[in-house]
This record gives sequence, C-alpha cells and structure tokens, in this order.
Amino acid sequence: MSPRVVGATLFVKLMSVYREKTTMFFTLAFPIILILVFGTIFMGKDNVNFQLYVQDLDQSNSSTKSVEALGESGKFKIIMVDPAANATQYIRDNKVDLVLVIPKGFEVSVIQRTILKDYKASVSITYIYDPSSSTVSTKMEILNGVLAGINLEMSGMPPFIRSVEQSILTKKYQFIEFFIPGIIAMAVMTLSLFGTVNLNTELRQKGIIRKLSTTPITRTEWVLSDILYQFILAVISTIAMLLVSYAVFDVSLHLNAWLPVFILLNVFAFVGIGMILTRFVKEAQSAAAAANAISFPMMFLSGSFFPIELMPGFLQTLARTLPLYYVNEGLRASMIFDDNLAALHDSAVIGVFAAVVFVLGIIATKWEEGR
Amino acid sequence: MTKESDYAIEVENLTKRYGDLLSVNDISFTVNRGEVFALLGPNGAGKTTAVEIIDTIRTPTSGKVTLLGMDVSKKKHDIVSRIGVLPQGFSSFDRITVRETLQYYSRLYRGRNTDIDRLIELVNLKDKSKEQYRNLSGGLRQRLGIALALVHDPEVVFLDEPTTGLDPRARHEVWEVLQGLKERGKTVLLTTHYMEEAELLADTVAIISKGKIIAMGSPGELIETNAKYHILTLQSVDEKVFEIVRKLGFEPVLDNHKDIKIRVVHTNDVQQILSAIKNSGALHLGLDVRKPNLEEVFLKLTGEALRDGHAGEEGSA
Repeated sequence: MSPRVVGATLFVKLMSVYREKTTMFFTLAFPIILILVFGTIFMGKDNVNFQLYVQDLDQSNSSTKSVEALGESGKFKIIMVDPAANATQYIRDNKVDLVLVIPKGFEVSVIQRTILKDYKASVSITYIYDPSSSTVSTKMEILNGVLAGINLEMSGMPPFIRSVEQSILTKKYQFIEFFIPGIIAMAVMTLSLFGTVNLNTELRQKGIIRKLSTTPITRTEWVLSDILYQFILAVISTIAMLLVSYAVFDVSLHLNAWLPVFILLNVFAFVGIGMILTRFVKEAQSAAAAANAISFPMMFLSGSFFPIELMPGFLQTLARTLPLYYVNEGLRASMIFDDNLAALHDSAVIGVFAAVVFVLGIIATKWEEGR
Repeated sequence: MTKESDYAIEVENLTKRYGDLLSVNDISFTVNRGEVFALLGPNGAGKTTAVEIIDTIRTPTSGKVTLLGMDVSKKKHDIVSRIGVLPQGFSSFDRITVRETLQYYSRLYRGRNTDIDRLIELVNLKDKSKEQYRNLSGGLRQRLGIALALVHDPEVVFLDEPTTGLDPRARHEVWEVLQGLKERGKTVLLTTHYMEEAELLADTVAIISKGKIIAMGSPGELIETNAKYHILTLQSVDEKVFEIVRKLGFEPVLDNHKDIKIRVVHTNDVQQILSAIKNSGALHLGLDVRKPNLEEVFLKLTGEALRDGHAGEEGSA
C-alpha cells in the first residue's frame, strides 16, 4: 500500500467536494438544521407548559382562585372559555383537545368543606376531551397530580411518602445535551454511508472506476482514501454542529479523545457498509434507496433521537444489534457521563464491527462494471 | 530472445460468454512491438469486450492472453504499470483540472516522474490545462484521456474507440495525436468502427463481426485479397441507365438518388456498360473507377455495414 497513492486520491476527492459548493453546503447544513430544529423543540422539555382551557360555570371567588392556582403550578397556560358556551361544541369548533369545567356550586361546596367542616361535601370537576389528541392523556395526568395536591392540602394532613430527586450527574443537563451525541452519530453515519454509495456508484457509472482498474491503485488504497475523505468531512461537520450547539443552546459537554475515536470508528463501519452496498446496486437511484433502507431503521431504532427504553422489548433487543447504537451510547458515555469504561466497551464493540465490514468492503469492491 | 518477447500481445483462442451471448468467439492474433493494430467492426461486434480482456479490465471465459510476455490472468499487477488504457466512453473527475488529473494519474504509477508539461503539449491541451474536466468539449476530453493513457510512458497503449461521438474536426485532432504515437514507435491496440481511422492509423487491421475475426492484414492486403473488383460510379445518370445495367447482369446500387455504383471485375465490364448506355441513347454526366475501401470489404465479408445508415451509401456496389 502506498501512502502517496492514498494521499493523491484523497486530494482529488476533497477538491471535488470543495469545488462543488452546493453539496458542501448541504453536507454541513443538514445536521446543523437538525440540531437547531430539535434543539428548539426540546429546549423547554424540562418546563412543559400546556395550554389549558377552563370553563368556570361558578364564577365565584373560590373558583377564580382555583383557576389561578392551576396557572401558578407552572404546568399550564390558562385560557378561559365563555361560561355560556357549549364545551363539547367549543372543543370541536376550536380544535381544542381538553376543556376543564368547574361546575356551579363550586364555592358552596368549598365553604361546606373548609369552614363548616362537612367532610362529605365534594365537587366534581369535569374534563371534556378529544381522545384523538396525542397530548391529552399527559395533560389529564398532570391535572390529576395537581388536583391530588390540592386535595391533600385541604385535608390538612402532612404527606406520608415524600420523593427526593438525586441525579447521578453532578450537573443538571438540558435535553439538547443528550440529543447532540445522537445527532453527531447519525450525521456521521449518513455522511459516510450516502457519501460512499453515491460517490462510488457515480464514478462507476461514469466509467472512472473502469479507468482506475487499469492503473496500479489497489482496492485497499481506494477504500482507505474513502475512509480518510469521509473522516475529514465528518470532523468538519461535527465541529460545525458543536459550534452551533455551544453558540445557540449554551451546551456543556465533555470533549475528549473519545469523540474523534468514535467518529473514526463510525466512518470505518459505514464506509465499509457503503462499499458492500455499492457492490450490489447498479444505478445511482437504487444506490440512494439502498442507503435509505439501511440508514432509516438505524436512525430511529438505535436511540439517536429518543431512548430505546421507550420501544417495545423486541425492538430494544434489535436496537442492541445495530452498530449505531454503540456509537450513540459511546458518545453519550464520553460526552455526558465522562465514563471511560463504558466508552471503551462501546468502542470495542463498534471497532470489531468496523474491522469486519472494512475487510468485507474491500473484498466487495469490484472494479469492473460486471457487464 | 523468446517467442513471447517478440510480440507485445498474443491472443490465443480467446472466448467470452455472457450467459447465452457469445461476445467473443475463439479469436487469435498477435501484435508486434511498435505496431498499430486495429480491431475494426460495427457496434456490438465484440471489439470492446476483446480489448477489455486484453487490457485486464475483464476476465475471459476461456483462452489465453499474453501481454509483454506475461499472462494477463496471473500478472495483472505487473502488467498495469506497463500499459496505458483509454477505455470506451472515457470520463474523469468533473471538478478536477486537466493538470491536476494528469498529476493524479501520474502519482498512481509509483516512482515514475512524468513531465506533465510535455504531455500536455503532446495532446495540445496547453491552453486548457487549468480548465476543469466538466468544461472540456468531447474532443478535448478524449485528448485528455489519451494523455492519461500515456502518463507513465507505457509500452503498450489501448485505445477503445478514441473518436466515437466526436465531430469531424475533433476526430481529425485526435488522429493527429495518434499519428504522433505511431511515429514514436508505441505499440497501439485500437478499436474503431471508422474505416478511415483504421486505414489511416493501423499497420494491421482485424475485421471482427459477431465476435469472430473474419479477416486480418494490412489495409492494402485486406482490400487486395478480399475485393478483387473495382467500383464504377456513373454520376448524374438518366433514369433508364439503372435498368440497362441491371439487364446486363450487374447489380447496380443507387447512391444519393443520382449516381449508381456498380461492382466490376474486368476492364471489359466497363466497356460493355458504357457501350450499352451509349447505344440506348441514355445520358450520364461523369464516371469514376476506383478500388473499394475497407468499409466495402467489410460489407462484402459480413453483409452488414460498419455504421448505421452506411449500407446504402457506398457499401453495396
């Protein structure tokens, strides 16, 4: 193997992408857009604030204070509904998922219970809701929690069981900080897989691979130059993602030697898979479809976007067989938990996988067009 | 000196089969060092498959190819550094300049120091050396392809249809470059379906049809051996002339709707035709007698034209 040949091939590939500004832009822009979009969506995940529609049929001091108490819980932004309106019809007409209805006689019941000490006195607050809404059950659970707190307070008894939160981390992390390692892993996978499949299919279709097959360049030199090329793009892309994350979301992550290690192993693994795919697809369109078939399940099942614990058991088992899962876990172990042992374990798993697919990728690389 | 080293290329009983399709059918030939050898045949004749087996891109179904004394199926790595190839439909990296492309391919041949400027001058690309490949015309691209085939000063050069798809001017520019190679004594294996190209450049021509070599020799020998007749062209003929000639037992072919071409073997044939026309009172405004060309030889041997649309133009006399 000649470093001179690998270097020359790397130069040609880098110059090609450098001079194709549009491709270069979208290569860098895609993961940054993902970070900005998801980061913005999840920025307030720790302070969920739902809109809550309330219809106060009692229109009393007590009902007004109760509504204010709901608003002060920090969980809801209260929007009042006209007492004369039909709540069911209001939900349909205004595409609202839930209206909380405070009945007439609310204040009378409160007085009976709190002043006259009539413990049989009670009141029913009605949730009128649209079951097709994905967030309505969460809203009702939170409401039940708030109402349980009010009931406890009115009973005048101290709680028997109290909960105390204790994080394993010394610092409280934002959701975006858990999200970024997943996005880096996903972006590097996409770059490497699509980059390899698209580039090699295009060069084969144009006959450039056929020309190269009549020169002394070896398959190992070609694949190695591909890996270095994708690694450089992945490093540039990761730097861009981190800069945006620090600048926009003020994240705080451990940046250490594990980051380039996991990027390199990720590149090795997915360039290898790309080479194997390129062997079996003939046209550029089928190449993109094949790369999608690999990357999409990987992206959603391996925990890049959400924890795999949210998935059914058999999917969790499947997720643990995916190489991207170990890149995600390894990056989180190093960037968030600063856990070198876990990072070492994950890097060993992805390293073995990368070595196997790299060798298979070299074997699968075929110079002739197969006519 | 061994027998192998006398020849640059030796092909023995070469066959390539794709399923039921027999692309190359048991062909054998040799190419001397310093010789320009052309495989001449129509599209689909098996020229490219044959040359791609010889230049190591493909593997044969059976048969043996020896290149510079080495078996191509066993010594590919040693062979590729001694041959230069312009594949059919050559293409290169779109956004890399002419000079960068030559520098890149030069580096693939370890330890060779290529004079890039001299190479650029050889193929007349001096003004375009900073131009990216995507901005080059078809003729300029082919010239770059030829330069890449020569970048390491190879002993044998393979040029697969070097002028296909080019306009006549660009084709002549490429021919000038190829004539330069010939003058420098390079061994060249060329495939083409242009008769003029083979006649102009090749020392030896092998006519290939349906995967088989059906005739081989120098252009002059092929014509001499396979076409022992002349072509009589009667220009701007009267309509009656066609029928008069046909009745004499010849097979006239109408050319350009105004000339007819007749294959004649003896001088007497010409006299007989001219007398019959004169006696009938029909008119013709001129005549021409010439030897057939390679395309006509090809048509005679195979019954098919080298290029689409040429059967009726000049080949059927």
